[in-house]
Amino acid sequence: MSVRKSATASVRRIATLASTTARPTTERERERRRIVVLCLPFFALAVVAGFVPLAMLVRISLAEDTIWMEGWSLEAWETLATTPAYRRVAWNTLWFVGLATGVSVALGVAVAHALEKYDLPAERIVVAAVSFPIALPGIVVAYLITVLLGRQGLVTNAIAVATGQGAHGLASATAITGLFLGYVYSLLPRATMVLRGTYAEVNEQAEEAARALGASRWETFYHVTLPEIRPGIAAAAILTFRSGLAIFGTVLILQSHQVVTLQIHNEISVGSYAPDVAAAIGLVYVVFIVAFTFVGLRFVDDDAVEV
Amino acid sequence: MSDVTLESLTKTYGDEVAVDGIDLTIRDGEILGVVGPSGCGKTTTLRTIAGFETPTHGRVLFDGVDVTHVPPEERNVGLVFQSYALFDTMTVRENVAFGPKMQGVPKAKRRERADDLLAMLDIAELADRRPTTLSGGQQQRVGLARALAIEPHVLLLDEPMTGLDAELKTRLREEIGDLLADLEVTALYVTHDQEEAMAMCDRIAVLADGTLEQVGPPAEIYRRPANPFVANFVGSSTLLEGVAENGHVDLGFTELPVAAETDGSVRVAARPAAFELGEGSLEADVTDVTYLGDRTRLTATLPDDTTVTLHADGIDGYRVGDSVPLSIDEQRVHLLE
Repeated sequence: MSVRKSATASVRRIATLASTTARPTTERERERRRIVVLCLPFFALAVVAGFVPLAMLVRISLAEDTIWMEGWSLEAWETLATTPAYRRVAWNTLWFVGLATGVSVALGVAVAHALEKYDLPAERIVVAAVSFPIALPGIVVAYLITVLLGRQGLVTNAIAVATGQGAHGLASATAITGLFLGYVYSLLPRATMVLRGTYAEVNEQAEEAARALGASRWETFYHVTLPEIRPGIAAAAILTFRSGLAIFGTVLILQSHQVVTLQIHNEISVGSYAPDVAAAIGLVYVVFIVAFTFVGLRFVDDDAVEV
Repeated sequence: MSDVTLESLTKTYGDEVAVDGIDLTIRDGEILGVVGPSGCGKTTTLRTIAGFETPTHGRVLFDGVDVTHVPPEERNVGLVFQSYALFDTMTVRENVAFGPKMQGVPKAKRRERADDLLAMLDIAELADRRPTTLSGGQQQRVGLARALAIEPHVLLLDEPMTGLDAELKTRLREEIGDLLADLEVTALYVTHDQEEAMAMCDRIAVLADGTLEQVGPPAEIYRRPANPFVANFVGSSTLLEGVAENGHVDLGFTELPVAAETDGSVRVAARPAAFELGEGSLEADVTDVTYLGDRTRLTATLPDDTTVTLHADGIDGYRVGDSVPLSIDEQRVHLLE
């Protein structure tokens, strides 16, 4: 009886909410309608481009026949859970992207500090140079790395000339170091953009107060600036890590390290066609990203930073 | 504490001159107020003493030692900001102990020093709170305690009372004034509030467009302004044009027995108190009445169209258009050089 009453009350509340949102009479209701109007396109897109494909992935990962999506099977999930190679790919991805994130955020702090704290000559050019890799496809980044660090690469040959060694042995474009540079190059602009926003909120007078109190520049950064930009660092790390996990073009070309995106590609390639396993990896990936973001946001407690 | 000397201090930003050849000494243990309109160079002067600006020309000396190119962290200068600039991620005690920590003072001793200062400023109970949980007045006390904790050569206060309500400002002004006097701190007090400067400072320096217009004790600045700018900026004055001759100044509508160094055209600054209402041979037409509570400010026009500002008792019921008799007290007018 009470359950039925409660359900009826909920339905009535929802109906009232919908009605007042459609025909608002108070400022609060008008605000609610504005929120609905602003968010509706995103939710429509999320349903079509996000939730529906995710549901399809779930179905594929559980299908006995992955071509016609018929029958039910846990085989893909069993394969994923019991095959050591997949655990290795997960570990490879985590440590590699984690390291690239750490380096990118550290460099991003330095760049943001320089851009926000000092009057740099040709600042616009510096900002453009730092930010433009964000628009480069991963494949182009891989090409740039090859041009610099490949067997015919500029840096490779310069080192070869300087040291008298053969360029062949020095080429690192298709080694893990080349790929790592490609990752950092792609991720640095993302970290820098977030951190610049955070730096704009730093209390410069508090920094000056610290220096007047006897703190060196480094001590001022450590004791005053760093605690203030910590939420920005967390936000930059979250954004950069998520972006790093998604890098595909660069790793596809350079192929020097097996990460999750390359593994998904391999699973749906001719020769080792396993779309159910690819779908299962994709779902694990999505769940991990969502969980990581929720956990990470707990460390971002500042209005000045958004992830 | 030290004396601080500015020698021909000049600071330019491109073509813009922020401070123009200031010579000024803050004597050991005195509170020197710096007043002037916005953009006159007050804060630039303060920042140059602190070391955050390097002068384009001139020198800054602490006790005769040139510190012009010494970085801020090596100057031992206490800074108190209008915006408090406290470290929000630290407790109040940690804020106050920060300076001693940077100076290498052992933990127990710096904690003791912080607690002593917090007690002195009557905020001992706030020691474990975060600055963001404090009121403006409390935050400013913490800022002051933090600056004093390093036992600075000089304390620089940049409009520390701005933003506080009037009652708190009056109370804090008295407390800070007494504290600085007791501690014999050498201090530079930048403010746009002349009343605040008059109440708190031993001497006042008046700046305009980057130049030093006058420096002296508050009473001297008020009673004997050096020029029309000081006469008008510090308090309000009526500037009267006249002709000096044989120990008198002829103002047109009256003559005053004021001796000028040379005969000829002169300007006389008359404070509102120089005009005595209700007696005298002058007739003035009231053109504006502003009720200020304890007094009423009148603007009136003399027969030769000279406009004067004067004060009447707060309960006198003057109205625009009234014709009032007044006289000028020659003891309260000042011949401008």
